[in-house]
Amino acid sequence: MKMDDLEFRKRALENPHDTDADFVAATASSASRQQLVQELKALDSKLKEIVQSVPIPTGLAQRLKSREPKATAAKTPTVFSRYYALVASLIIAVGVTLSVGLQSANPSAADLKFHDDVLNHVYREAPRYRSDLEDVSWQQINQVVAEAGGHLREDERIKTLHIKFANDCNIVPATRGAHIVLEGTKGSVSVIIINNSPVTTKFDVNDPRFAGKIIPLGVGNLIIVGEKEEPLETYEALITDAFEWVI
Amino acid sequence: MSDTPVLDDRLKKERYEALVDALYQDVYRYAYWLCKNSALAEDLVQETFLRAWRSLDSLQNDKAAKAWLFTILRRENARLYERYRPDIVDIEDQSIADSDENEPDQRLDRRLLHEAIAKLEKDYREPLLLQVIGGFSGKEIAEILDLNNNTVMTRLFRARSKLKHIFVPGSESGDEVPEGDVAEDQD
Repeated sequence: MKMDDLEFRKRALENPHDTDADFVAATASSASRQQLVQELKALDSKLKEIVQSVPIPTGLAQRLKSREPKATAAKTPTVFSRYYALVASLIIAVGVTLSVGLQSANPSAADLKFHDDVLNHVYREAPRYRSDLEDVSWQQINQVVAEAGGHLREDERIKTLHIKFANDCNIVPATRGAHIVLEGTKGSVSVIIINNSPVTTKFDVNDPRFAGKIIPLGVGNLIIVGEKEEPLETYEALITDAFEWVI
Repeated sequence: MSDTPVLDDRLKKERYEALVDALYQDVYRYAYWLCKNSALAEDLVQETFLRAWRSLDSLQNDKAAKAWLFTILRRENARLYERYRPDIVDIEDQSIADSDENEPDQRLDRRLLHEAIAKLEKDYREPLLLQVIGGFSGKEIAEILDLNNNTVMTRLFRARSKLKHIFVPGSESGDEVPEGDVAEDQD
């Protein structure tokens, strides 16, 4: 049966390289059909050229063959990384101000897994942080922070906050962490400091309920999570200004 | 004592490395155009090949390796990135670096087409990439995407319709066939 124009056009746009006999015969039957197929083949040729011109990362094949995923490798402590962490800690402990540091453009797979772990932890713990909890002492706060390998300098601005919870944090097994909860303007705000591999970049928490930030902080990470519209930047500035690693 | 396990390990390693050599570039490019970011794409490819290594024994026929890897990659992309989507608005311009070989008009064409591919809805972009990068047939694409063949062909039709107007003066995006005539089958 002869192919009508509508059917021909549909077939040509689905696959201009179609070699089925009926399509080939239909193409040959008119100059306009041949022109359409030629245009679409030219389009495909340009498409192919563009999608295949993406540069392949140097050494990718070798990394794949070694089967060391970037994300896993970053989380696996090695002699080098332990040494590096020690040196970094010493430098920080003598008073180098903490900074967010160089950031890559996007979080890695490991960062995103960490993001999910953090959120799960916050959701699990959230019911515990009632607004009527008493203030915890500065001593208790710094005891918990010290357990995580850090120190929080006494800061009058922080001391004015209603800090209602301070405890060890076990988001990441085999690492040390501190979980501090304060009463924010919209509800509880979790400030979590973990002595683990820093995330590759600072990025926002993505969640329907909570807003938050995950921030590489020296040899570890600072996480701040609160209800939407909580001014988290204020707490971030206070903590990064007053905190230092002393491990 | 038999040395079969050692031999098996060596054969598995050789098979895996041959797979990497043959396919890592296509897998990376597919990942790149899927998530539109080079760092995420590399993470995705590493996860994909790691999973491929772990379940290499389940790959019965090496001729099906590319479709198998693309399927793993899509699953990993959904698992790792589709729940949390960082603010990637525009694809990086890696593939449209200005080249001395190209005339200004050609560079403009490339840029327009590059942007058009990146902006295609995922439903249309994916089958087109599988056809162009993977060289898969409609039936193979349907299996990878877990769609029926008619749906895949309709999406390919629409993808090309949307891109065609950039290069073919006088044609308009998606004007070739009324929507009803190519309605997708329900999956």
